[in-house]
Parts: sequence; structure tokens; C-alpha cells
Amino acid sequence: MVLRVLLFLWIAVTMVIALLRAPLVPVLEETTRVLYFHIPAAWLTVVALGWSMINSVIYLVRRDLRADDHAAAAAELGLLFCIGATVSGALWAKAMWGAYWNWDPRETSIFFVLLIYTAYLALRGSIEGEEKRARLSAIYSVAAFVAVPFLIFVVPRMYATLHPDPIINDRGKVDMDPMIRWCFLSMLVGFTGLYVWLQSLRVRVSRLERAAHAA
Amino acid sequence: MNHNYVVLGVSLLVWGLLFAWILRVEARVRELEKR
Repeated sequence: MVLRVLLFLWIAVTMVIALLRAPLVPVLEETTRVLYFHIPAAWLTVVALGWSMINSVIYLVRRDLRADDHAAAAAELGLLFCIGATVSGALWAKAMWGAYWNWDPRETSIFFVLLIYTAYLALRGSIEGEEKRARLSAIYSVAAFVAVPFLIFVVPRMYATLHPDPIINDRGKVDMDPMIRWCFLSMLVGFTGLYVWLQSLRVRVSRLERAAHAA
Repeated sequence: MNHNYVVLGVSLLVWGLLFAWILRVEARVRELEKR
């Protein structure tokens, strides 16, 4: 319980400092604040989908359904954070570029990631039998994750984009005001803690569902 | 009233509600695990 309360306070205090103390980026003005939600959500999309792929490989090697539980939970949460990043990005795009959706390379890429992982969940829902579902889903998840780094990191760099430069620039440095950087990194840590909590909770629910079906 | 306080209030309310909901779900999961 102590860890949970710490997580609550961590994110709440970061929100207070980010909204009341951190300066605004001159070009972004008031929309600077979207950064504290949008980038952590995008970061956790990649982390969760990567975790789903790792557990899918573990399942294919060991045939352990606990790994399949982790893979499915991570894919669900990855999709959830991806929706969060897409919606916050669309709101940001409306404020900065004048339209919610512009089919910018980064927007198009995230649209494909959403489609790929929605299809993953549809696939899981359509297969009868735990072993078969776990095996086919694991193969799909490994294949799907090959597209993720390409769509998120490569495609947006290959074409002209409206999207701002990555946080870590070409010289490997983070170009941010120290206070903004502190709030951003703090929110990144808080969101990662929230993800770890949700992931463990979802896995526990999957185990309960399996026990209920077996009974 | 500074609009930053309004945004902060809404953000804290949403985070608080989400946190309370996750705690409730976890309590329910713990209860089912004990059965």
C-alpha cells in the first residue's frame, strides 16, 4: 500500500509542479503541458508492446501460459497507452497545426500500430482453446513487434513531418529547460510505475479467469 | 481565476478517481484470490 500511495503522490506532485512552476516552451506556449502526458504515453506504448513480444517469445520457448498472460496484458495496456498518445497528439495537433488529424507520417504510423494491435486482440478473442490461442497469438505478437520500431522510429524520420524533433536530438542530448526536463522525467517514472501496477493486476485477473473456467 | 488552477484541479480529480478505481479493482481481485 505504501508504494501505491507513493505513486499517487509522485504523479500528483509532478502535476502541481508541471502546471504551476515549470516554464512554457516559447513556440508551444500553453500546449507545452500536453508533453507531460503525450510522451510518457507514447513511451509506455513501446515498452508495453516490447514486453508483450518478449513474453510471446518466452511462451514459444517454454509453453508456459503465465508468459501468455503477460503478453496479452501488455498488448492490451500498450494499446490503451497508444490510444492515449493518439488522442493527446490529436488535441495537440489541433492547437498547433489547426486540425486534429493531418495524415502526417507519425500520425499514419501510430494509426497502423493501433490497427495491428487491435487485430491482435481480435485474434485472441476469436480462437477457442488456450494452447492454440496462446501459440498463434505469440507468433502474431512477435511478427507485429517487428513493425513497431520501424513505424515509430524509422518512418517518421524518412519523410518530412510536422511533428517536432525527437526529445533526444541528433547529438544525443535532451534540449529542454531543466525544470521542464525534471517534470517530464518525473512523469515518465510515474507513468512507468502505473504501468507496472496495471500489468500485474491484469495478469492476476487472467489467472482468476483461467481458474474460473477450469472449475 | 488563473486557468492553470482549473486545469490542475481537473487533472488531480481525474488522477484521484482513476487511482481510487484501480485500488477498488485490486481489492476485489484480492478477495477473489482468497476464495
